[in-house]
Amino acid sequence: MSGSASQNSRVILAVDDSASMRQMVRFTLESAGYRVVQAVDGIEALDYAKTSAVDLVLTDVNMPRMDGITLVRELRGLSTYKFTPMLVLTTESGQDTKQRGKQAGATGWIVKPFSPEQLLSTIARVL
Amino acid sequence: MDFSQLVPNPSESTDDTVMIRASTWTPEQQIARLLSLCEAQMESALSESDVAVQELVKSFAGLIEAGQALGSMSEKAPEAGATDMAAQLDALKKQTAAAIVAFQFYDKLTQRLGHVRYSLSALAMFVCDGAKTGERDQWRRMFATLRRLYRTEEERQLFRMMVEGASAEEAREHIQQSTLTLRAAPTGEIEIF
Repeated sequence: MSGSASQNSRVILAVDDSASMRQMVRFTLESAGYRVVQAVDGIEALDYAKTSAVDLVLTDVNMPRMDGITLVRELRGLSTYKFTPMLVLTTESGQDTKQRGKQAGATGWIVKPFSPEQLLSTIARVL
Repeated sequence: MDFSQLVPNPSESTDDTVMIRASTWTPEQQIARLLSLCEAQMESALSESDVAVQELVKSFAGLIEAGQALGSMSEKAPEAGATDMAAQLDALKKQTAAAIVAFQFYDKLTQRLGHVRYSLSALAMFVCDGAKTGERDQWRRMFATLRRLYRTEEERQLFRMMVEGASAEEAREHIQQSTLTLRAAPTGEIEIF
């Protein structure tokens, strides 16, 4: 788990098992003034979310230990995360997986690769 | 490599039409088809990464150029260079955004090659089991397992093409077409539920 400070009070939890992807997400979000907390999988993200508040969750799907869809489902089960925006950022474009994400409580679905401009405008839209 | 997280969810749907066609081939044809599929997937992934690497080179060249321009401007009088400086910073921002998109193809490449490795490994184990290779139903299961493994749209398209009997030449044409599409629109779709 690692984080970064900025002037913006909004905190985004970025979850991805790929270090390079987490870096790209971090560069993008920090450039817009968000504070970014990173987690390598669903378990680490869930542990963090249980003890600290975040304003938005941005998660990959396929990760070891706990996948992103399970993470969304687990977070939605917590009273503090009932209305928190949760975006899935994944290479998965299949309708079946997308439907599973929607049913788990995801707010939106972004297929990789993302463009910084589109990611920031999507986050601004759901926050 | 831990292959356990690559194993597909058995509750996901299957494409029966594709499986029926695949099941009419002989065991030797099945092996050849699967190996061709792996080769095509790898070629497609490498073709994608070529596009990304080219974009990286271009982006970083742009960043260097912009940096040099900013450096030159800072040596001039601030009032004379203010407008030019804003334009150069805007160009720098655009090049950085393009580099961020291009970098993500490395992640995609790693994922796709992981799937190919799993496929080859699974096939190698399968063909070693003489009792399985003679059973059409076992081959049907094998194809169903591999079909669920491929998760990106490009992987799925290639799988469908090859399993339905496309030639290596047809696959190559498809990859070239996909690469052109990728150049035109490199980023993925966004859907808000």
